[in-house]
Amino acid sequence: MAEIVIGIAASHAPNLANPSMIRGMNEEQFSRIRAGFAQARALLEEARPDAIVIFSSDHFDRCFFDNLPPFLVAVGDSAEGPINEYLKIPKVKVSLDSELGRFVVREGLENGVDFASSADLPLDHAEVVPLSYLTPNWDIPIVPIVVNAFAPPMPSLKRCAQVGAFVREVMERWPKQKRVAVLGTGGLSHWVGLPEMGRVNAEFDRWFMNTLAAGQQSEIIARYKNAEELDAVAGNGGQEVRDWLAAAGAMPPSLRAQVLAYEPLPGCGIGIMAWTQAEA
Amino acid sequence: MSQYQVSRLLRDIARDTEIARRCRTELSIVLNNYNLDDAERDAVKNWSVRALYDMGVNPLLLLTSSMAMGTDIRAYTAALNEKR
Repeated sequence: MAEIVIGIAASHAPNLANPSMIRGMNEEQFSRIRAGFAQARALLEEARPDAIVIFSSDHFDRCFFDNLPPFLVAVGDSAEGPINEYLKIPKVKVSLDSELGRFVVREGLENGVDFASSADLPLDHAEVVPLSYLTPNWDIPIVPIVVNAFAPPMPSLKRCAQVGAFVREVMERWPKQKRVAVLGTGGLSHWVGLPEMGRVNAEFDRWFMNTLAAGQQSEIIARYKNAEELDAVAGNGGQEVRDWLAAAGAMPPSLRAQVLAYEPLPGCGIGIMAWTQAEA
Repeated sequence: MSQYQVSRLLRDIARDTEIARRCRTELSIVLNNYNLDDAERDAVKNWSVRALYDMGVNPLLLLTSSMAMGTDIRAYTAALNEKR
C-alpha cells in the first residue's frame, strides 16, 4: 500500500516565485512566509515521501472552455512549466510518477470518479510556486491532479473533498510500498482581474485555515454550498480552496494539522499548513 | 456576439507571446482567425478592459491577456472601477 505520510496546503501566488516581485515585497511579511515554507519543507523532508500528489488549479494555460475537465490527472513521464511568459517565473522540469498517476485514473474510472488524464500536461505556477520552496531540487516525482477552480461550472467543495478521500482509498490499494505526500495549492482569498483586485479577506482566510486544522471541513462545505457564496467572501481566486479541501479529504486520521503561516499580502492571503504524524 | 471567440483570442494572447506581439502590430490580420462581432473587435482594438469585462469575459482571462499585452495593472484596475 502507499502510505500518505504528510499533507501540505499552501498558496501559489506567482509573486512568490518571481524574483523582481519578491524584491518589491514587504520584507517582514515575506520573511514570515519564507519561514512557513521552510518549516513545511523540513516536515516534508522528515516524512521522506517517494511521490507527491498535488491538487492544484489551472489558469487557462492548460485547459480552456473547449475542453474543461473537473479533475485532470497528469500521467506523462515529466512536465515542464510554467508555460506562460508574462509571470516571469523561471521554468522547470519535474519527473512525474506516471505509474501512480495512471493507477489513480484507472481506479477512479472503475470506482466512480471520472478523472480525465493527460500524457502531456505542462506545469502551471500552481505547482511550480509551492514546489520551488518545498522541493527546490525538484527531485521528488509528482502526480498533478488539476482541479477546475476558475471556469464555471466547477466541481463543488463537497466533491473536491470526496475526491481527496477517494485518492486516499486509492493509495491504500496501491500494490507496493510507497510513501506519498499530498499537497493542495492555491488561495487563499483573492480577487483576480476584478474591480476588487487587491482585496484580501483575512478574517475568512484565518477561519478557513483554523476550521480545516480542526478537521471540520464539513462546516466549510455546509457554509459555502455554491460558488457565488464563496466568491462574495473570498473572491474568484478563493475558489482555489477546492485544492485545500481535496488535500484535507485525503488525510488519514493519523495525521494532525497545524497552521504554519498566514500573511495577508496585498492582493492575496498567503497561507501554509501541514498535516503530520501526531507525536506519541 | 460569441464570448467563446473573444475568450479564445484572449487565451491565445496570454499563452503565445508572438500572438500578443502581432496584436500590437497587425491586429486586423490576427482577428481574421477569430469570429468577433464589431463591438468585440473595437474592444480588442482599443484594449478596452472595461468593455471586455462588461461583455462578461472571464476576469482571469482578461487579466492574464492584459498582462501579456503589457497593460499596467494599476491602469487595468482603474479602468474596471471607472464610474459609468
